[in-house]
Amino acid sequence: MNGSHQVSRRALLRGIGAGAAGALAYAALSACGGSEGGGSAPAAGGDPWKRFQGTTINFISENTAPSAAIAANTKPFEDLTGIKINIQQMELTKLVENVSLDFSSGTAGYHVIYADPYQVLAPFSEGLVDLNEFVGNSDFPQPEKGLEDFIPSQLQAAGRFLDSDKLYALPYDTPTMIWQYRADLFEKYHDKMADDLGFDPTPSINLTWDQYFQIAEWFNKNAKDDVAYGTGHQAKQHDSLQCDFSNLLWAYGGDYFEGGQELGTLGTKSPGKSTLTSDAAVAAAEFYNKLLGIAHPGSRTWDWDGVANAFQAGQIAMCPNWHEFAAGNEKALPGKVGYAPLPKGPARSANIWGGTGIGINANCSEAERGAAWLFLNWATSPETQFMTLASEVGGGTPTRTSVYQRPEVEEAKKRPSKLPNILTADAVNEAWKPENIGLRPKVATWNQLNTALFTELSRMITGAVKPDAAMRTVAQKFDEINKV
Amino acid sequence: MPLSSDLEQVATAAARGVRARARTPVRPPSFELRMMTPALVLLAALSLLPFLMLVYMGFTEVKLLGGLRFEYAGVDNWQRLLTDPDVRASWLVSFVYLVLTLGAEMLLGVVTALVLYRITRGRGLVFALVLLPMFLAPIIVGLLGRFLTDSTIGLYAWVLRGLGFEGDVLGNGTTALIAVVAMDVWQWTPLVALITLAGLSAVPQPLLEAAAVDGAGYWQTLRSVVFPTIQGVLLVALLVRAMDAVRFFDIITITTNGGPADATKIIPIRLYETAFRFREIGYASVIGLVMLLFSIILANVFVGVLGRKGLTK
Repeated sequence: MNGSHQVSRRALLRGIGAGAAGALAYAALSACGGSEGGGSAPAAGGDPWKRFQGTTINFISENTAPSAAIAANTKPFEDLTGIKINIQQMELTKLVENVSLDFSSGTAGYHVIYADPYQVLAPFSEGLVDLNEFVGNSDFPQPEKGLEDFIPSQLQAAGRFLDSDKLYALPYDTPTMIWQYRADLFEKYHDKMADDLGFDPTPSINLTWDQYFQIAEWFNKNAKDDVAYGTGHQAKQHDSLQCDFSNLLWAYGGDYFEGGQELGTLGTKSPGKSTLTSDAAVAAAEFYNKLLGIAHPGSRTWDWDGVANAFQAGQIAMCPNWHEFAAGNEKALPGKVGYAPLPKGPARSANIWGGTGIGINANCSEAERGAAWLFLNWATSPETQFMTLASEVGGGTPTRTSVYQRPEVEEAKKRPSKLPNILTADAVNEAWKPENIGLRPKVATWNQLNTALFTELSRMITGAVKPDAAMRTVAQKFDEINKV
Repeated sequence: MPLSSDLEQVATAAARGVRARARTPVRPPSFELRMMTPALVLLAALSLLPFLMLVYMGFTEVKLLGGLRFEYAGVDNWQRLLTDPDVRASWLVSFVYLVLTLGAEMLLGVVTALVLYRITRGRGLVFALVLLPMFLAPIIVGLLGRFLTDSTIGLYAWVLRGLGFEGDVLGNGTTALIAVVAMDVWQWTPLVALITLAGLSAVPQPLLEAAAVDGAGYWQTLRSVVFPTIQGVLLVALLVRAMDAVRFFDIITITTNGGPADATKIIPIRLYETAFRFREIGYASVIGLVMLLFSIILANVFVGVLGRKGLTK
């Protein structure tokens, strides 16, 4: 009796053990598989767009305008290819962490990656597929109108790193920071402001940052009934603070490294010693600190979304922000917002470029790579970019020259506009000129450098350190991180 | 007896013992042990192996891209930890945060429990309302806190403006730290109240009656009868909350993410940033191990105090 009990217990345990091992093995295999349709690529032939039908791919993206528009309308892609696309959108910092974990795992949880040139492409270029595998390969559909249709400087900045022969991403969006202002309030107070300040306050590239400061201060003192504060900034201890400050740094003639703007396109392995202790950089920091002193106090807690929300809620009269927020501005304040390139500093007007490409995870199986290429190709095609531009939920920022040449896009530059982001076109075109664009250095250590910079800037604007001390500390940390 | 004779006797006895042990058949593991083995193996796999891995990684530089590789780094990570001013600053913030949250939660928790203990009518309803925050996910508490303190739409920000505070609560180092402490206190004071209330219910009634007969007032009864009786329960509450506070993460991540000016960057946030943003896994392992050591010391201090008071039996 006892013996038979022991046997049955043993058998039971063996059964449970076998079941558990089987379940674990299945789970492990499923995890390795990543998605349906993994494995080798189907043979070429037939409709190249249908070659990978039945595959499922995952796209990780920042919660940004074109992705919102594509997520809301994936049917055209699924109908064209038979591929199922899952789009996961999140805040940029979280995206960088998730992508880092995914690359490290050696599997491909995400097949298509929103590859921010500075925070993803530079540190993780080894984890991305060289797209030359597909470009010019007759087994795969080629980008409509060729790679030449992408704005050339942006193809370089968003798609390449160190090696000009390798292409890691196709330009997907191109937000650029410009001056966004309440045109209705500027019109209402124009004469009084001009009398008081002694210059024409209408925002333009001809105004200086000092004049921007004076305008902000004027609004603080004279227009409280209409708007709480003259200016607002994305000065949270976050990537956004670095972006906001960079405009000033370059406008004052400073830069992060000796290589300056040259490091913003192909990037570099060894940027050398930091130049943030230069007189120009310190002057920029001093001015930024002064500007934040009169800005909306919420600025210290806002990133780009926060400052856009405050602007749209009528809390501030003007702000520097990414031009992709124009669609939201037009919804909240129809016809009341104007756009201009950022003001000049002693050196120039600098408008930080925040464009991003999309690339393919190198850990993908052959079939997933092929399917991911079809998505890249489709998502960056002129037709899809036009669709995102016109989307109710998105309002993209096209990276194709041909999109801007379409008659309906040209027409949308004037109000009433069906493509509200295009209302910024004049300002953005001016901002994109080589003398006005601002490019961050593309280096593999950018995430560490960026964190050191925005942490110290945050200390500066909360009064914990003086601007010159902040710049010295940042420069020292940059050199430590880059081991120079 | 000479020393050599003693040694001989000891050696003979030892040899006899060894022979006796050798003759004794090895007992098979008990049924209970055999039944527990799978669970023990699983536990070891889930906690012991990762711990050993963590120790190993602390002495290496972990390369993640292009296949997992460990490059021996000696004591570099440990050396760096001892000289890193940022980590030191994070420990300081963590310590301030720990003292503030524990102090406020214990004080408010005990007061809440004493009030609840005296309520006779509608106690169930009040109790449910008091406990409510505890059932929210910390991330939701953080979001609520962020909205309530937002300088454009926040209710608390509006009230504070009415009281003359013009700044942004989360935009200033001091107020941001106070705000995240307040959010944690709001969420977890009910737990302390719940534990304390359980202790209060266990205070022997005759003891309270005796104190009343002897003419002790409310405060005197609390000081001389109630607190000495429930001190074990209070220490348990303190232990639970202290362990939790050391690894506090969610609310700060969603509200300030360590800012402004690193004023709320407690050590778990620093650890997360080092591991997952900078991919310095070896160094992050060392930070994690020190956190673990700190938690063990803290727990031992509490358990030691409980033991000295004879409350662990």
